[in-house]
Amino acid sequence: MKARDDVNPGSVRLRVERRNRLLGAMADHELDALVLSRPENVRYATGARQLWMSGTRPVGPACIMVRATGQVHLIDVSDEGLPPELGHDTILGRPWDPGLLLAALRSVPGFTDATTIGTDTSSPGLAKRLRAVAPDANVLDGGPAIWAARTTKTADEIALITAAVTIAASSLEAMTDALAPGVTERELLGVHLEHIASLGAPIAPTEGVVCVTPHSGPVALRRVASDRQARDGELAVLDPGAMVAGYEGGLGRTRSVSRMTTDAQRDLATRGRTALDALLAACRAGATGADITHAWRSTSEPLPSVPLVHGVGLGVEPPVIGPGIGDEAVLTEGSVLSVTSWVAEPGVGGHLERDFVVVGAQGPTVLSPGNTDA
Amino acid sequence: MVLLGTSAVSYATGAAAPGADSSRAELFRPVAIVVRGDPAPHLFTPYPDGAPDELPADHLHDPLYPDVESGGVRVRDALTQLVDPRARVVVDEVTHPMAGVLGPFDLGAAGPLLGPAKVRKTSDELACIRIAQHINERAIADVQPMLRPGVVPSSLTAAFLRRIFDLGAHSVGIDPIWQVMPSSLAEGPWTSNGDVAFPAHDPDRVYRDGDVVWVDTSVHYQGYASDFGRTWIAARDPQPSPRQRSQFRQWLDVLDAALDECRPGATGGELCRAATAAAGGRRPWMDHLYLAHGIGTDLGEMPMIGTDLGEAFDDQLVLEPGMVLVFEPVIWDDGHAGYRSEEVTVVTDDGWASLSSYPFDPYEPVQ
Repeated sequence: MKARDDVNPGSVRLRVERRNRLLGAMADHELDALVLSRPENVRYATGARQLWMSGTRPVGPACIMVRATGQVHLIDVSDEGLPPELGHDTILGRPWDPGLLLAALRSVPGFTDATTIGTDTSSPGLAKRLRAVAPDANVLDGGPAIWAARTTKTADEIALITAAVTIAASSLEAMTDALAPGVTERELLGVHLEHIASLGAPIAPTEGVVCVTPHSGPVALRRVASDRQARDGELAVLDPGAMVAGYEGGLGRTRSVSRMTTDAQRDLATRGRTALDALLAACRAGATGADITHAWRSTSEPLPSVPLVHGVGLGVEPPVIGPGIGDEAVLTEGSVLSVTSWVAEPGVGGHLERDFVVVGAQGPTVLSPGNTDA
Repeated sequence: MVLLGTSAVSYATGAAAPGADSSRAELFRPVAIVVRGDPAPHLFTPYPDGAPDELPADHLHDPLYPDVESGGVRVRDALTQLVDPRARVVVDEVTHPMAGVLGPFDLGAAGPLLGPAKVRKTSDELACIRIAQHINERAIADVQPMLRPGVVPSSLTAAFLRRIFDLGAHSVGIDPIWQVMPSSLAEGPWTSNGDVAFPAHDPDRVYRDGDVVWVDTSVHYQGYASDFGRTWIAARDPQPSPRQRSQFRQWLDVLDAALDECRPGATGGELCRAATAAAGGRRPWMDHLYLAHGIGTDLGEMPMIGTDLGEAFDDQLVLEPGMVLVFEPVIWDDGHAGYRSEEVTVVTDDGWASLSSYPFDPYEPVQ
């Protein structure tokens, strides 16, 4: 199994379709131009492979899309990783000097005439800088147009997400093999990253993939890998992810460190699975975030502190649904969701399960492979 | 001060969060609110296990999710609880859900406050950078012998990522770069400024005998970044040609010339001119990058020396003790590729000290 990060049989079709979706959404939302800061939005608009860096990036124009010309423009230097259908006039350079950056924006055909510019995020001063280039522009929230394009997934996108789920499942097996008394969480994280990289997919959506839970005292879901060693008889949450061409897949399971499960652990696993099934069944087109949390509450399990559901595609996407957040969100047909259940019992440990689902009119389709019960 | 950026929150709070793709780092971001006069920052995080032990319990809060629709109101409510509506508030990012509801607050930019705060490192910060660099270099020592003809970059990445976490790294900084360099600029990749395309990594390249490979990796420890850069040669027994050794000697001359000027009170401009003179009058670094950059909770932060901000900018940039500089000159020898390495240094009271200790093998074999 080997996944190329940026090339797949449907990639040209995928990229063209994404740009057309964005252009259509810009028309529907009456945006003359989009100015994108965030790497995942830049990737959606251009398909260009960029250097991956951990964490958020500073706010600033990284990509400009102009509706009148249908062209995308990148604040970048080289054509390595640039899709073949985009020419060198796509590349604007990447100046440090704010004046040179404005000059680069000014050189984008049609941009100075824009009267409505959508941005994916903002900062004090960004709108003013953009108006220095496009003096008549109203600088607006580009989010509604971006999410109108991105939320519903094409068959090509779902295939890439499924490929990423498959890589994550393979890594789950590698981590399970490495799980033994004495191994640390950080070592298991290393096993995960080594495994996905060896399959050609070195980008981990998150490094929060391992949590060993104690079989005595209070239990909490920790996401920062530590030097804590797994001990015989404990439960270990293994929650790996992977990215293929930027699309995220993952699945979460809970394993016993000793490979021998107790009755109490099996009871906890049943509770976790039951709760996950309740969530999955609620993932229907038109359901609201409130419906999702209601489905959880109907299991009588205490509401976890972590989000129950979030969107996925080019990484994490809205909605985010969980305690105190996302009640008003509405699930869209054809979107993909990461669905998580977390239950804990002092004296036993914690149990997490996570599956990816496609929201369909007739109900959810789980993307996780096979039977991987604890 | 309301901080949303990964490295800014890390700097302001010391809170740990799992390394993550930008999309996740945005939607599940820890947020810091720092109130003047309050000795502790307020931390709003989905990762309470990453909160520092010394953070008072009443300063640790549930996450705000400022990137999703109802998150803007959560930010406003948190801010309203902590400061007067007439307070001056600076921010590093304003998500659209925040912009819609923070109207009453007078929002300014956080950058002008953060930058100067970060630029001089404390001894604790230097220790973190030193440890991050040490982990990075120890892992690299295991990876370098793997660079042979027929190997693919992802094999190097796999081994590197496994090793750094065995050695105690806290997170990955960048997708490691093991880039094959062309002999000449004409062989591409194409660049907008006509300079060397770097970083421009092809992860699917299969290494061939004699490939010149520019390496660049970063791992974090306690939120602080390391930066490793070297030039290697793909071969069973790599033996640089006399021309390649000459490239390396020129690179060392440039580095030495810049370091000779490196002391408190020297300007960035003086370093640039010394490096350029040592290279025979041609600027020995890439047009789109710099001669040297700072490092801290960001892999690249101020001071940046030799950028397109220009000579006047470099001349007003005065070195101070505690500044960390990563020198990354480049000797490009068109037709014969070139040499690039990185040297991490700290400005001391009377000069500089190195924070990196990796050999220049195979250009300068380990004795």
